[in-house]
Amino acid sequence: MQKQSSSEKGFSGALALSVPTDVGEASQRQRIIDAMIASCAEKSYRGTTITDIVGRARISRTTFYKRFEDKRACFDAAVTYCIELMEETARNAHSPGDPPAEAVRKATVAILESMAKRPAVAQLLCADATAVDPQVVERYRSAVLPALARLWKAAGEPRRSQLDPRLAFSRAQLLILNQVVADESDRLPELLPEIAYLAVAPFAGHAAALEQAHLAGGGVPG
Amino acid sequence: MSDTETDLRKWRLPRGRHGLPRELVTRSQRERLLASVVRVTAAKGYEATTVADILEEAGVGRESFYELFEDKRDCMLAAHRILIEDLEARVRDAYAEPGEWPGRLEAAMDATLGWFAADPTTSRFTLVELGAVDTVFRSRVRSIFESFVEIVDGGLADGGPKPELHGATRLAVAAIMTTVYEQVVLGRAAELPTLRGDLSFELLVPYIGEEAATERRRRLAG
Repeated sequence: MQKQSSSEKGFSGALALSVPTDVGEASQRQRIIDAMIASCAEKSYRGTTITDIVGRARISRTTFYKRFEDKRACFDAAVTYCIELMEETARNAHSPGDPPAEAVRKATVAILESMAKRPAVAQLLCADATAVDPQVVERYRSAVLPALARLWKAAGEPRRSQLDPRLAFSRAQLLILNQVVADESDRLPELLPEIAYLAVAPFAGHAAALEQAHLAGGGVPG
Repeated sequence: MSDTETDLRKWRLPRGRHGLPRELVTRSQRERLLASVVRVTAAKGYEATTVADILEEAGVGRESFYELFEDKRDCMLAAHRILIEDLEARVRDAYAEPGEWPGRLEAAMDATLGWFAADPTTSRFTLVELGAVDTVFRSRVRSIFESFVEIVDGGLADGGPKPELHGATRLAVAAIMTTVYEQVVLGRAAELPTLRGDLSFELLVPYIGEEAATERRRRLAG
């Protein structure tokens, strides 16, 4: 498939003047990413074909290859999008003055609630990312964990645990995945005590994590 | 290879007909095919493996294959089921040994680590290649997870502590599964038993707290 370089505008350059190109391109790119997320949820990454994606996004193959080099590049972009979505959710969930353990608990609640509304995002991050390439998971894990550690550092609280944050992260992923796979994504908030515990324990220790797990569980009816 | 060889690994029967009753020949053909799909898939990858490869390795004819299995996927899933049943039986046995509960949990953990460390081919097949078989990966992972939770919770009621965190067992099983998965993917399955000290600590903390788990780790090391 030939890719058109930006300098080869030719006659289409004139056409582009009449279309709000960047807005159109951004939304088209997002449509492709959304199609990738939906298809992975239904058929897994390995089962997903370019035909599935272009069908869902209602675009041509040529358009697909203009935006992404191949299926894998599109998948990586989808992972990045999902991570950013979760980061934004986490950021908006807490106020600057919150103590770290509370901030982390609130972020956990917000992320699980958002995943419950959009389980395909949870599947992409917790199932496909792991199955496609452990490096993909490593990339976002190595961004999330130092950010968590900084919260406690900024608050002047020393690390109070020998639990491994990387293992806690993988455990949380597996728990979320299992809930989503069982088609019980609406019940993701039931995992709140466990996930809040995993998010807090490696930094603030078992006792603080238990407290946050208890608080997080308080919001679950039944 | 060690004494933790599973039945599947022993399924190298003499090739060709040997004057056995038809039922037995079919059984051994089935076993040869199951052993073959494990070896071939682990070596070539699921997608690249053909039914012809499985037949050649097994020394079984195409017609017999299709009498026993629908297709490559069916054959692979059958082999996978047998391997998981074997693993579960070994974990149950280890966990049922008499003794204090933390030691029994560690024995169950050791049985799991040992099973995956014993033979990289089988481990790769069980965890990595399963990921290539469409979305069945996700539901199998979940059912394996749930059955291990059931095993551990069953023994917990029988002489174990009252967990400080309600979902402690789910966290414990998640810790073992994700650790095993990561090491197998990285080709480091053989090193799994060396992780037992740290992993045991990770398992025990949500049940008994960090101090008691640290104390136990110190006693084990000393």
